[in-house]
Amino acid sequence: MTTDLAPLLLEDTPIGPTAGGLYRRQNVYTGLAAGIFLGFVAWLVAHALWNSSNWGTDMVVTVTMVGWVIGFNLGVGTFNAPLRWMLGHDQTYDDELYAAGVGQGKKRYYKFCTDHKVVGTQYLVLVVVLFAIGGTLAMMMRTQLISPHSSFLSPNSYNAIVSIHGMCMIIATIIMVTGPFTNFVMPIMIGAKDMAFPRLNAMSFWVVVSAIPPLLATFVLGGVDAGWTTYAPLSVQAPPAMDAFSITMIVFVISVTVSGVNTIVTIFTMRAKGMTLGRLPIFTWASLVGAALSIYAMPALLIAFTSMITDRVVGTSFFVAGQGGTGWLWENAFWIFGHPEVYIILIPPVGAMLEVASTFARKPLFGYKVTVAGFVAISALSIMVWAHHMFTTGWAPELAGPFMVTTEIISIPTGIIFLCLIGTLWKGRIWTRLPMYFVYLFLWNFIIGGVTGIYLSDTPADEYFHGDMFVTAHFHYTLLGGAMIAATAGLCYWFPKITGKMLNERIGKTAFWMIAVGIQVTYFGMFWEGFEGMPRRVAFYDPIFQHANDMATGGAYLLMLGWIVLLYAGINSLRQGPDAPANPWHSKTLEWKVPTPVPLANFLVDPVVTSDPYGYGEPEPVGPLVMPAPDPDRELVPNLSSDNPLVRGDD
Amino acid sequence: MAITTDPHDQGRVVEAVAGHHETREQRHFKEHLAVWLFISGDAVFLLMELFYWFYLRALNTDGMWRGVACSKANPCTDGLGNPITHEIAKSTPWYTVSIAVLVVVAAAVIWGVERSAQRQSKRSVISGGAGIGLAVLVAAIVVQCYQFGVLPFTTIDGTYASTFEFFMGSTLAHLFLLTFIVTGLWARAGRGRYDGGHWYQVRIIRIFSVWLATSTCILAIVMIAFS
Repeated sequence: MTTDLAPLLLEDTPIGPTAGGLYRRQNVYTGLAAGIFLGFVAWLVAHALWNSSNWGTDMVVTVTMVGWVIGFNLGVGTFNAPLRWMLGHDQTYDDELYAAGVGQGKKRYYKFCTDHKVVGTQYLVLVVVLFAIGGTLAMMMRTQLISPHSSFLSPNSYNAIVSIHGMCMIIATIIMVTGPFTNFVMPIMIGAKDMAFPRLNAMSFWVVVSAIPPLLATFVLGGVDAGWTTYAPLSVQAPPAMDAFSITMIVFVISVTVSGVNTIVTIFTMRAKGMTLGRLPIFTWASLVGAALSIYAMPALLIAFTSMITDRVVGTSFFVAGQGGTGWLWENAFWIFGHPEVYIILIPPVGAMLEVASTFARKPLFGYKVTVAGFVAISALSIMVWAHHMFTTGWAPELAGPFMVTTEIISIPTGIIFLCLIGTLWKGRIWTRLPMYFVYLFLWNFIIGGVTGIYLSDTPADEYFHGDMFVTAHFHYTLLGGAMIAATAGLCYWFPKITGKMLNERIGKTAFWMIAVGIQVTYFGMFWEGFEGMPRRVAFYDPIFQHANDMATGGAYLLMLGWIVLLYAGINSLRQGPDAPANPWHSKTLEWKVPTPVPLANFLVDPVVTSDPYGYGEPEPVGPLVMPAPDPDRELVPNLSSDNPLVRGDD
Repeated sequence: MAITTDPHDQGRVVEAVAGHHETREQRHFKEHLAVWLFISGDAVFLLMELFYWFYLRALNTDGMWRGVACSKANPCTDGLGNPITHEIAKSTPWYTVSIAVLVVVAAAVIWGVERSAQRQSKRSVISGGAGIGLAVLVAAIVVQCYQFGVLPFTTIDGTYASTFEFFMGSTLAHLFLLTFIVTGLWARAGRGRYDGGHWYQVRIIRIFSVWLATSTCILAIVMIAFS
């Protein structure tokens, strides 16, 4: 292949014309305008064509939402490069510079920007917004549950809030690490100048942004009252909100799949010289495994929601028992996605947290290869456990045993990774800064989340616990207490690199204790409710559950307050915090070797890696060059000229 | 992690935004890997489609896959106790076969375009081949749309009809995607983007088109042989 390609390397491709003025005026506002306009046009057309048919309303909502998504992405610039490619034009170097946000200051955060650091920051803001929405909905639920027969919410509103809280949080947690940190940090960690496909990277972000308004629109379209799992036949019979919900999920699948492909290609093809697979930082491995798992899992979600839409809009009968369909089909399709999804959420934050542990324990990561093997084993096993969510549904009872065994086996690699974390901390000279607090909290929470998960994987115990608050407490301990806390450790760790400011640790530690205590009180309260037999997803309950609900609600308020304080710590630090040095934690990985703020192409010279990433306790090698200080005159892009043969575009 | 600089690159300052400092070989390797990853995801989607088909067919809830077991002489009932008195007719296989053949032909033509580009053929040969591939794909789309209009059943006629039409819709969506790409291939070939041995991007399109032909044939076989 090298021989075949050799002649190509010697040739230059003529540079096409630079994209015009409209291209340079696009931003989130033009996206909003185009999305609203095209959505409205789609609504008019659909209303005229289908409103009188049996599935008219569903069709109108679906077409309107599709119009919005396409319009928004056209307006924001997502499709510029593909359309220009189709017409035979290439992006010129000047176009690429413009798309990378050169010379645009803060405006680049409001537009289709290909710089991976901008995309990472955009994702971070989006994740915070999604958590704020999901958290607010959670507090509305807990407020409803203050008393057994509260009238704060109607039962229908409560059910709708349960559903959107669930899916909003799932979306947020899936992208909470792969969005901000895999985008911002990972390319620098491996010595790359950007992600492999910068435009696809920006596309993955703006596509998911376009998915959020349809999700929120569900509240004005009747509400999704089928829970976040949207089991059929409830979801087939749900109001038109379900159509908007399905569009959200389909668009989200596109975003995550594109992001996953980009991550894998980046890791395999963009590493610096000397950055062998054995030298990859553990967070990079975690990102790689999470991305690979998403490529397996997301198509299942895509077909599930596509067929859900066709059931509702054109009358297919996949999930309609009266016409030959079955709700089991939905449950299978959903959970074939749904259980790997747990590990798509969990593995990247654990990788981030292991970086924190190694840095602050001043020790090499204990069992590096075993940890990597653990990630791979978990992801492989996670595709063979989906039916443990269906033990009580009556589907294939003879398979309950095998699925119970595979589910319990998955605790082995999980436990091994846990041991590697403890081994990393063991006898380390631990520097207890704010990120480490969250590592400790993860250790505590994940033990509880993991052990209770083993009970639920056991079919006899699951028969008892299924559908009650014990399950809710378990997965909140796992996803919030585990994944979110690990992600927060990562956020506190990389905050100086991302923002250029040191995080206010005094406020941060206050937030930490509120969060730590809030989690225990909230979810122990839910365990209590579960043990007493209180079902999930109910707006009213028997007064015998009152005390447990008091505990859970009180804890939830404390927890929410803790997150708000942490958010305040971040905002306060951005405004008033001291400037961060390039490497405040004296870490060994590459992202700390570059200046802060990070230059456009990350590295001022191409790095060559000569050792593993966790050489704590070893002297820094005396090399010819580590990294020069940034030259203000050459800060971003030294040579903007298209005449420079080094910087010409090709096909 | 210790780092140094490449002695050959010593002092060479990174000049550009990502993508523009790379050789074509690097870019093409990336694109090659990416297209295989997208195909992997699409293969999972195909497997899920097959799961839908065979699961619903095996389950045959109340005989409503195609109503095969039911007749006026021996009625069975649906889930609401209503008798099912008819068997849903199969779709004629010829449209399905035609579409599969057209997609295979399109993939073969694109393969030929890649060969032409590799041999550094004239621009008109490369462009003409791409144009033929595009025309074949448009024909496949037309046949697929026509098939929707002549099916002997509608989506509400049970799970066979639902899954059959879902497969048709899936094929149509993939055809639109490939048509978009091949339109780009044709337009770019006309502008000389693949002249002088610049064939690698055509190879990536060929890989995807061959995959699409394969998946279309698999779906066609299932739709015809396992109804």
